[in-house]
Amino acid sequence: MRNVITIARKELQSYFASPIAYVVIGFFALLFGYFFASLVYWFEQQSLQMTPGSGPPLNINQALIGPVFMNVSVIVLFVMPMITMRTYAEEKRSGTMELLLTSPLTDVQIILGKFLGALGLYAVMLAVTLIHVGVLFIYGSPEWKPIATVYLGLLLMGACFISAGLFISSLTKNQIVAGMVTFAVFLLLWVINWLGQSFGPTGQAVISHLSITEHLDDFARGIIDTKHVIYYLSFIVFGLFLTARSVDSERWRG
Amino acid sequence: MIEVQHLSKRYGPFTAVDDVSFSVGAGEILGFLGPNGAGKTTTMRIITGYMPASEGTVTVAGHDVFSDAIEAKKRTGYLPETPPLYPDMSVRDYVTFVARIKGVPSREVRGRVDAVMKKTHIADMASRHCGKLSKGYKQRVGLAQALIHNPDVLVLDEPTAGLDPKQIIEARQLITELGGNHTVVLSTHILPEVSQTCSRVVIIARGKVVAVDTPDNLTARLRGSETMYLQVAAPGADVTPALSAIAGITRVKAEAGANGLVAIEVDCEQGRDVRRELAATVVNHGWGLLELRPMRMSLEDIFLSLTTEDAGAPPADAAPAATEAANA
Repeated sequence: MRNVITIARKELQSYFASPIAYVVIGFFALLFGYFFASLVYWFEQQSLQMTPGSGPPLNINQALIGPVFMNVSVIVLFVMPMITMRTYAEEKRSGTMELLLTSPLTDVQIILGKFLGALGLYAVMLAVTLIHVGVLFIYGSPEWKPIATVYLGLLLMGACFISAGLFISSLTKNQIVAGMVTFAVFLLLWVINWLGQSFGPTGQAVISHLSITEHLDDFARGIIDTKHVIYYLSFIVFGLFLTARSVDSERWRG
Repeated sequence: MIEVQHLSKRYGPFTAVDDVSFSVGAGEILGFLGPNGAGKTTTMRIITGYMPASEGTVTVAGHDVFSDAIEAKKRTGYLPETPPLYPDMSVRDYVTFVARIKGVPSREVRGRVDAVMKKTHIADMASRHCGKLSKGYKQRVGLAQALIHNPDVLVLDEPTAGLDPKQIIEARQLITELGGNHTVVLSTHILPEVSQTCSRVVIIARGKVVAVDTPDNLTARLRGSETMYLQVAAPGADVTPALSAIAGITRVKAEAGANGLVAIEVDCEQGRDVRRELAATVVNHGWGLLELRPMRMSLEDIFLSLTTEDAGAPPADAAPAATEAANA
């Protein structure tokens, strides 16, 4: 465990020692701020157009916070490859992989360390959005429980992206290749349910189950469905398992 | 301390290391010599547990590097050809990180880091980023990294490559000091380095061990013939026929220089001193004898004769592993 934490700390340290962390977090904050502002504006318009007494007021959780965080998943899709593409590719290119693999560490410790390091950076990135949520609490009265579940959902979804990104990064020495492939895979996992409609009801159910963002909907509604939690957890474990296999086979091939 | 037995490594149809066996005793400094692509780095990577062998076993301090990898790695320090540095980390952070992953107990980390940085003379660069260091400092940080957990075995892949002459001397001194407390395996291209620092040499070519011995023995053993060097002032004359006529001389190689000076290498039968005859011949022809001295076969010549493909078979007693497969 100590080794995992050491590696995770080193990963986080190297994100913040290079411009990566600042650029990623900064531009994430910029994009999120834009989406947030435009959705708040839209929500305001909707609220004003409603005639008083014609029905219950707009639910801030459903009409504003839900869509805002669905937008986050899109930004994460673009940002995450930048975080994960270097994890293994950089170590291989600079030769530091030799240090890690000749140290008394197991592959699993290295992988978990890198995973937690990237997850740490992602958590810091998400923490930025707490400011915006705080603003909503000052001027409105949203419920905090659905917000907590949406953060849980986003963390799980991000962890999935990270595990897939780690695997792809472990396949190559070239960061750009890793980044591009990761982005393509994420995008496909996101839009895979578009194709579902042409496969009939069963096909659609199967395909939309594969879609990584589809599972986020319920979290945004404040529901923690074990189905989705298990999907995310199994995705993460599978990604980390593939990474372990890839690192091990690299070792044999030399 | 290190036992390498029948080690082979194949990449598909290509055999990088072929049935290599040797052992290194505690406190010994073993030099690993060979041309590029001979399998030095591959062998070192297998010893350090970076990659598994296709066949054969390696044990470090009694621990198999494959089946008991963690224990073996705890006892091994490794400096790869390019020091494995993180460019964005400061030297102190980097050495501290390595100390932690090498399993140095938490409360000893600080003390070890300070001691090792002092020993490798990098303390003055402690807060500099690794990426901004000169080649010499990078190499020393790499060495600090290999030493941090006070390993029984040190594996150094070309530790003096890219250093300036002063740094090379310092590095050699450091390595010599390390022998005794640590078992050292180092690879190098610089041959005098081997005779200066190593107690034993393994020469490897095309994946096979072609010689294992002390540098002195190798030099002596491989002197199949005695060579004399002459410098003669003989303007306009051809010295070769006259010298070849002397009894016991097997080969004469003359090279004309400026002002009628000729540099000559003469091979003669072993155990036969032809210096008097050579001097007499030169003087009788009216040439000026400027220099006459026996040439020792340098480690460089041995290295070349052992590792060059068309150099013929090396002496049988010097070649425990050179067999038919090399030509297959």
